[in-house]
Amino acid sequence: MELIPILSTIILVATISTFLLAIGAYILYKVREAKGQQASAPVPSTIRAELLTPAEMQAEIQQPEHKIAPQPIYIEPQPVPVYQQRPVYVQQPIMQRAQMGPQYTTQPKQYAEPGYNDVKNYPQSKTDTKFLKYTSEGYVSPSKEDKTSGALKWK
Amino acid sequence: MNTNQEIKRSTLILDNREPKVSEPEKEGKYLKRILTSGLMSLVLIFVIIYTLPSTVLSLKSLIEYATIVSLVIFLFVLLIRYFGILLLAYLYINEYTFKSSTGFYPFVSIIVPVYNEEKVVADSIKSLLELNYSNYEIIVVNDGSTDKTKEVAAQLVGYQKGRYSDIKVSLIDKPNGGKSRALNAGIRYSKAEIVLCMDGDSQLSPDSVRLAVRHFVNPEIGAVAGNVKVINRGKFYTDLQALEYIEGLNMARSAQSFVRLVNIIPGPLGLFRKKAVEEAGYYSSDTFAEDADLTLKILANGWKIYYEPNSISFTEAPAKLQQLLKQRYRWTRGILQSIRKHKKLMVNPTINFGDTITLWIMFYEGLIWPVMNIMANLFFIVAALAFGFTSLIFFWWAGLALLDLITALYCVAVEKEEFRLVWYALVYRMFFILVIDICKAMSTVEEFLGIRMTWGKLERLGTAKA
Repeated sequence: MELIPILSTIILVATISTFLLAIGAYILYKVREAKGQQASAPVPSTIRAELLTPAEMQAEIQQPEHKIAPQPIYIEPQPVPVYQQRPVYVQQPIMQRAQMGPQYTTQPKQYAEPGYNDVKNYPQSKTDTKFLKYTSEGYVSPSKEDKTSGALKWK
Repeated sequence: MNTNQEIKRSTLILDNREPKVSEPEKEGKYLKRILTSGLMSLVLIFVIIYTLPSTVLSLKSLIEYATIVSLVIFLFVLLIRYFGILLLAYLYINEYTFKSSTGFYPFVSIIVPVYNEEKVVADSIKSLLELNYSNYEIIVVNDGSTDKTKEVAAQLVGYQKGRYSDIKVSLIDKPNGGKSRALNAGIRYSKAEIVLCMDGDSQLSPDSVRLAVRHFVNPEIGAVAGNVKVINRGKFYTDLQALEYIEGLNMARSAQSFVRLVNIIPGPLGLFRKKAVEEAGYYSSDTFAEDADLTLKILANGWKIYYEPNSISFTEAPAKLQQLLKQRYRWTRGILQSIRKHKKLMVNPTINFGDTITLWIMFYEGLIWPVMNIMANLFFIVAALAFGFTSLIFFWWAGLALLDLITALYCVAVEKEEFRLVWYALVYRMFFILVIDICKAMSTVEEFLGIRMTWGKLERLGTAKA
């Protein structure tokens, strides 16, 4: 007996069976679904939900206006900057570990809690060095520079 | 996991209103439509029978010619569809392969809506902590679960150790209102520029966020669709779905992505620019395919949507035929509801041409193609049983199986998937697609008649372990 008629018969039977199976399964599904149907309740315009967040971020949620400074605040440079250890969320160390590229956005602002705005009190590098002179010893004040030393200075 | 942290509880007032939409049409109107269509069909048949004697054709030859012409059209459409998708998908992969990395790493909120997911929610969150990304938070939204989902999720609230940084995990516990409202609650609470929406039972691959967010460097991109893969393989139906996801869904999505018009951002993994979601009016609950609806709204607002094949979400697929039909029934009716909701865009290409094309493709895939496939199969059954042309059905199957086999081979190679899935292509078209298409056709009839439906949650087995 040839192969094609046998295969044709198999495929024909399979196709008819698939039709019957699909229609039967669909009817069965509808019957089962019909048993479990419930009437829908009216939907209120607002609902109360409970929010669980880590405690550290709670202040940030309640006082969102303190999160991001809308305008840069210019403060006189402090004579002796006090560098306190604060958990400022800076991406740089993470980027180094992950071998990632530079970040284009200024997202870390979103992490800054009210207290973290104090970082703006730190003297900016440009302001610090504006009236300083750059020598081979680094930045020195023009008044404190030892002009009498006679040593050759690289400028 | 760090569980010894102080957790603050507060109350959120969530806006639960739906954007105003047109009232669904009444069943009486559908009946009127059916009667009108039936009457017009009868008139057409009468005209054909009345004018037939004045032509050279007999009734028998008319049927023969009509059948041959229909089959030729069907084959033509099938081949155009297949090779069109293959060509665009190839062009997309070619373009994707040479796409450079941008180094764009914005803050991302991952929204995880959960409803009775006590078996899988912990694994889902643990998988999120393993992401190859540092700048993100996790917001779990418990949609009024009746099991212990809330308790399981609450144990994970706090700063958890991620791969590169401590990740903030928050929980919003709200009354049951559906997936779309749960996602909306999470998106509204989020302060991130990019939000990632996923399913509670899905797990993301480590690179999923890192690879997807880079496309947002283009300001025109409003959303990025992820790649969904079946995790619970090894069973007949789940393996067939694994092949379907690769061959049927992902290839089409790649093709759509070439023109930046992905028509459905899958529920298990979609990244959105929050601004685009806000402009679109968030997720709506008036359709059963909220992801398709939101995608169409985003496209309508002029945003582009991209597909990232290496941003993978593993999800549980229905393992039983009943569950599969339930899922496809919901998808089909949901998509038809979305099409009907945006029918103005469908008929008026001047509003948004991309959306018009997308809607017509969805209409074709959801309504015309299943009917064509069923009719073709019925034709071959009748030809074999009534006229003895048994071999026709064999050649029909052989042609389609060969086409599916080649496509499956290509897709499996592109996605570096399991090779064993290729052999399922032999029964894919004749069995699986036929079952799905019959379900689609039935669902379409029900949608047309306006029969009430429920969401129908799928039973999860918790096989998706981290």
